[in-house]
Amino acid sequence: MGVDFFIGLFLATLIVALFTSRLYRLIFWYSMNSLVLGILALMIGKALDDKAMLVTGIATLVIKAVGIPYMLKHFSEKFHFVRQIQPQISAHYAIILIPAILVFTFYLSEPITHMIEGNANYIAISISSLFLSLLLMMEHRHVAPKIIGFLSMENALFLLGITATGGMPMLVELGIFFDLLMAIVVMNLLFHKEEVSS
Amino acid sequence: MLILLVLPALVMFAVSFSHHRKAKFLLPISSVAILLPIVKLFWLPKPYAIWGNYLVADRLDTYVLLISSLVGIGVTLALLTLDKHVKVSPKAYRRFYRFFAIFWVGLIISILANHMGIYWIGLELATLSTVYMIKTNHTPAAHKEAWNYMIVGAIAISLVLFGIILMYASAKPILGEEAMRFDLLLSHAKEIPSPFLFEMGFAIATVGMFVKMGFFPMNLWLANIERASFYPVAALFSGILESAVIIGFFRFSKIAEQINYAHLYGFVFVYTLLTIFIVAFLIFRAKDFMRLFSLSGVEHMALIALFWVSGGTFAALLHFGAHAFLKPALFLSTGVLESRGKYRIAGALRGYKGKKGELFWVLVSLFLLAIISLPPSPMFFSELYGFAAMVEMAKQSDHMLAMIAAILFLLVLLSVIFYRFVTLYQSMKYEGKEEEKRVYGSELAALVLFALCLLVLLLPSSFAYLRSIV
Amino acid sequence: MIAYLVTITILLLIAPILLFFIKVLKMRMLYKKPVSLLQGYRNVAKLMQKETLISEEASGMTRVAPFLVLSPLLVTLFFLPPVVQGAFYVSFVDAFTITGLIALSTFFLMLLGLDSASAFGGMGSSREAFISALVEPAMILTVFSVSMMAGDLGVGQAGVNLASHFPKAHMASFLFAAISFFILLIAENGRIPVDNPETHLELTMVHEAMVLDITGVYLAIIETAASVKFVIFASLFASLFLPFGMQYAPPVAFVLFLVKLFMIAAAVALIEVNTAKLRLFKVPNLLGIAIVFAFLSLITFYVLGA
Repeated sequence: MGVDFFIGLFLATLIVALFTSRLYRLIFWYSMNSLVLGILALMIGKALDDKAMLVTGIATLVIKAVGIPYMLKHFSEKFHFVRQIQPQISAHYAIILIPAILVFTFYLSEPITHMIEGNANYIAISISSLFLSLLLMMEHRHVAPKIIGFLSMENALFLLGITATGGMPMLVELGIFFDLLMAIVVMNLLFHKEEVSS
Repeated sequence: MLILLVLPALVMFAVSFSHHRKAKFLLPISSVAILLPIVKLFWLPKPYAIWGNYLVADRLDTYVLLISSLVGIGVTLALLTLDKHVKVSPKAYRRFYRFFAIFWVGLIISILANHMGIYWIGLELATLSTVYMIKTNHTPAAHKEAWNYMIVGAIAISLVLFGIILMYASAKPILGEEAMRFDLLLSHAKEIPSPFLFEMGFAIATVGMFVKMGFFPMNLWLANIERASFYPVAALFSGILESAVIIGFFRFSKIAEQINYAHLYGFVFVYTLLTIFIVAFLIFRAKDFMRLFSLSGVEHMALIALFWVSGGTFAALLHFGAHAFLKPALFLSTGVLESRGKYRIAGALRGYKGKKGELFWVLVSLFLLAIISLPPSPMFFSELYGFAAMVEMAKQSDHMLAMIAAILFLLVLLSVIFYRFVTLYQSMKYEGKEEEKRVYGSELAALVLFALCLLVLLLPSSFAYLRSIV
Repeated sequence: MIAYLVTITILLLIAPILLFFIKVLKMRMLYKKPVSLLQGYRNVAKLMQKETLISEEASGMTRVAPFLVLSPLLVTLFFLPPVVQGAFYVSFVDAFTITGLIALSTFFLMLLGLDSASAFGGMGSSREAFISALVEPAMILTVFSVSMMAGDLGVGQAGVNLASHFPKAHMASFLFAAISFFILLIAENGRIPVDNPETHLELTMVHEAMVLDITGVYLAIIETAASVKFVIFASLFASLFLPFGMQYAPPVAFVLFLVKLFMIAAAVALIEVNTAKLRLFKVPNLLGIAIVFAFLSLITFYVLGA
C-alpha cells in the first residue's frame, strides 16, 4: 500500500514540475521527487531485504535530494541564470498533452507488464515519468530546466531499475552516481564564460 | 594488465597539471607505451579476464582496442601543434589534455567491458569528457554546440541505459544478477523467457546508440558539433568514440540475432538505408571540410552497421578498421587544410613547399581517394565483401529482388558521394590560388602512422585474422 | 427525513457565517480589528431594504437571472451526501448532474454580467467563462474518480460508502483527487489565488465584476448564492475526502461535520493570506495541475489499481 502511495507522489511531483514557471520552484519539485524516490528505494529494499538497494536509497536521498539541488542553486547564483522560465508549450496545450502522454505510455507498456515479475504497473509509471521528463526538457528554452529534465530522467530510470529488476547490480548503481557527479563538474565548467584569450 | 593499459592516460592526466612548456612532448612517447600490453593481449589465450568478469578481452575487443589506441597515439602526436593552427589559451590547452585522459580511460573501460553496466559507465564517462573538449574553442557557436551535445548526448545515453535495464530485466529470471554479462547472454539467448521485452530493450538501446553516432534524425547535430570544435576533437569522435558505440552495437546485435533475426534485420536495414539516403544528399551540399568529413563518417558507420547485421562480419570489421584510420587522418589534416580559411576548398592541396609539404599533400590525396573506396583502399574490399554478404543473406530468404534493388539504391547513393569527393579533390588540387601553408612534423608523423596502419590492414594475414574474429 | 431537512436548513443558515469566518480569520491574521461574524446577515438585511436600480440598457434577463443563479444551487443542496447515519439521501445523482447544476448557476451569472452592457461586466463574464472552461472537466473527472473508488456513481451513495470503507488500497488516487478538488474549490468560489473576493479593482476581479451593476434585492440574492456555493463545495469536500465521524450519534456527527466545514474554511483562509493572486494568464497553469491530477487519479485507479 505504501509503495503505491509513494509512486503516485513521484509522478505527482513530476507533473507539478512541468507546470511551474520559476527556476527555484522547479529545483524544489525535483528535490521532492528525489526524496520520494529515496523513500521508495528504502521501502522496496526493506521488503526485498536487499542491502544494495538500501545503500543506493540512502545515496539517492543524500546526493539527489539534498546535494544536487543545493549545487544547482549555487550555480544559478554564481552564473546568474534566468530564473523566469516560461514553458514554450502553453498550459492549455500541456493540459491535453500530458494526459495524452500518460495514456500513450501506459498503452505502450501494456505488453511489458505481462512479462515482468513484480508489480508491472510500476514499470508503466516509470516509463511515463521518462517521457514526461523528456517533455520537461523540450518545453523550456533555457539550459537550467533542461538539466533538471535530464536529472529527472535519471530518476525515472532508477525507478525503472528498482521496480523492473529488483535493483541493478551495486557496481552499476555506484557508477551511475559517479557519472552524475561528473556531469555536474562538467556543467560547472561549461557555464564559465571565459573570455577569448590567445 | 589493467594498470598498464590505463597508464598512458594517467601519465597524460598528471602531465596536464604541469605548466612546463615542453612537457607535452613527453606524451606521444608515453602513449606509444600502450601498445605493449595490447600486443601482449594478442598473444594471450582468449577470452582473457582483465578484471574479474567485468572487463574481458576477447578477439573483437582486442582488435577494436588496438585500433582505438593507434588513433589515440596519432591524435596525441597531432595535438602537439594545436596552438599553431588555432587560438587556444594555455589553460584551456591543459584542460583539454585532462579531459582527453579521462576520455581515454572511459574508452578502455567500455571497449573491454563484458558487463552491460560497465559498458554504459565507460560510455557515459567518455561522452561527458568530450563535452568540455568541444568548448575549448571559445566561440559562441562552440558554447551553444557544447550545450547541444550535452543535452542530446545525455538523452541518447539515457536511452541506452533504458534499453539495458529492459534487456537485463528480460534475462534476469534465468540468469539472476549475472544477466548483465554479454557472454552469458549470448550463450543463453534462446532461453530468455520474454523475447519481446529483450527486443524492445534492444530497439531502444539501438536508437540511443544510433543517435549518438549521428544517424537519422540527428545527422546535422553531429556535423555542427564537429564544425564548432577543434579538429582533434572531431578526430577523437570519429575514430574513438564511435568505435566504443559500435562495439556495443556489435555485441547487442549478436544477441538479438539469436532471438529474432528477421526483426533485427528489418529494423537496422530500414534505419541505415534511410540514414545513408539523407546523408548522401547532405554530403553533396557540404561546403566545408569538417561537415563533409563528419557526414561521410556517418555514412560509413551506417554501412558498417548494415554489413554487420547482414552477416558480413569480416567486411564490417575491415571497413571499421579502415574508417577508423582514414577519418581521423583526414580530420587532423583539416587543421592544415583550413589554415587559410574555413571555406577555402579550392586550392587546399596546393601551396606546400619542401619535403614535408610534398609528403603531406600526397598522403592527403591518397586518403581522400581511399575514403571513397577506390582500390587498393581496404574500403574497396570491405564494400565488395559486404555487398556479397548481403546478397548471400538474401539468398536464404525470399527477398532476393528487394535486396538487389536495395543494393542498387545504395550504390547510387554511394556514387553521389563519390562524385562529390572527386569534384572536391579536383578543385582542391587544380583550382584556386596558391597560398602558402605550413605543415608541422608531428602532424605529418601522425599521418604517416595512419598510412602505415592502413597498409598493415591490407596484408593477407590481417584479413585472415579479421575473418577469425567472429 | 427529518435529519435531512434539518441538515439543509442549517447549511443554508450558516452559509453567510462560513464566508465571514474566512474574512474574520484573515483579518485576525493580518492584525486588523475583525468585523463581526454576523455581518453577513446584516448585509442581506440592509440590501433587502435598499432600492433596486436596474441599468437602462438591461433587458428582462436582469430581473430573472438572480433567481436562476440561486435556484440550481439550492437544488444541489438537496443532493449532497448525508451527514448523520440513517438520514435520507438522494443516491442516484452523479458527478455530471452536480457539475451541471453548478455550471447552470454560473451560466446565468455570466449572462447577468453581460446584460448590463458595462465594460466591467463583459470582462468579468469572459474571465469567468475562461476559468469555468478549465474547472468543469476537472470537477467531473475528480468526482467520478472518487465515486469509482467508493464503488457507486451516485455522489450521495459514494459518501455513505466512503464513510464505512475508507479506500486504503487506493491512497494514491485518493490523494490526487483530493488535491484536485481542493484547487477546484478555490477556483470555483473565486478565492485567492484565482480571484480576489474583496476588491473592485479592474485588474483583479472576476466574480465582483459581473455583479458590479446589481443592486438591492438582486445583490442580496447573488451574495447568498455565493455563500451557498461555498457551502456546497465545502460539504462535498468534507463528505468525500474527510469521510470519518459518521458513525457517532447524530448530534455529535453533525457537530463534527460543522467542525470539518470550518476547518476547510480555515484552510482556505490560510491559503488566501499566504498566497498572491495569480495573473489571469497563469491561472491555466494552476487549473492545468487540477485537471491533470484528476486525470491522473482516474488513470492510477484503473491502470494501476492504486
